[in-house]
Amino acid sequence: MIDSARLFRAQEPLLATPPLPHNDSASSEVLQGEGEDLPVVAADPVPEAAAVSSDDYLRLQRRLLLATLIVSAIAVLITALAFNLHIAGSLLVGALGGLLYLRLLARSVGKLGNGAKKVGKTQLLVPVVLVLASARLPQLELLPALLGFLLYKPALILQVLLDS
Amino acid sequence: MDSITSAASVIAAGLAVGLGAIGPGIGQGTAAGSAVEGIARQPEADGKIRGTLLLSLAFMEALTIYGLVVALVLLFANPFAG
Repeated sequence: MIDSARLFRAQEPLLATPPLPHNDSASSEVLQGEGEDLPVVAADPVPEAAAVSSDDYLRLQRRLLLATLIVSAIAVLITALAFNLHIAGSLLVGALGGLLYLRLLARSVGKLGNGAKKVGKTQLLVPVVLVLASARLPQLELLPALLGFLLYKPALILQVLLDS
Repeated sequence: MDSITSAASVIAAGLAVGLGAIGPGIGQGTAAGSAVEGIARQPEADGKIRGTLLLSLAFMEALTIYGLVVALVLLFANPFAG
C-alpha cells in the first residue's frame, strides 16, 4: 500500500525548489531597474556599418564606370587617328553599349538580396541589340562594335589590379 | 546560302549558346549564393562582398557573351554565307 504522506514528503523538496537564476543580462537588468530609470541601450552598430559599406559599393561602381569611360575615350581616339572616323564611330557605339551593360549589371548586383533572389539577365540584351544593329545598319561595323563593347574588361582588370 | 550551310549554322548557334552558358551559369549561381550568404552573416561587409561579386560576375558573364556573339554572328552576319 502506498503511504500518501511519505509520497507528499518526497515531492515537497521538488515543489519547493527555487526558480533557476536567469542568465539573460537584459532581463536581469530590467529586474534590477524596477522602480528606477530604464537602462539606456546602446544602438546597434551593424546598420551604420552596412550603410558605410553600401557607400563603398557605390564608390566602386562610379570608379568602374569612370575607368571604362577613360579607356573607351582613349581607344576611340587612337582608332580615329589610326583608322578612320567610321570605325571609330562603331567602336564608340560599342563602348557605350559596354558602359550600359556594366551599369545594368551593377544595378542587378545591387538589387541582389534586397528583394531579388537571383542576378538579372536584362544586361545580356545589350550585346544582342548591338550585334543585331551592326548586322542591320550599314553605318555600324560588327568587329569594332564588339571590341568596343569589350572595352569594359580592361577597366575591370585595372580596377582589380589597383585593389590588390 | 545553301541549305547545308544554313542548317549547320543554326545548329552551331544553338550549341554555342547552350554549351557556352552552362559553365558561367553554374559559376554565377554559386557566386551569387555565396555572396548572399556572406551578406547575411556579415551585413557590415555588404559593400565589399557586392563589389567582389560585381567584378567576378562581369568576368564570368563575358564567357556567356562570347557564345552569344558567335551565335548571333552565325545567324545574322554569317561569314560562310558566300
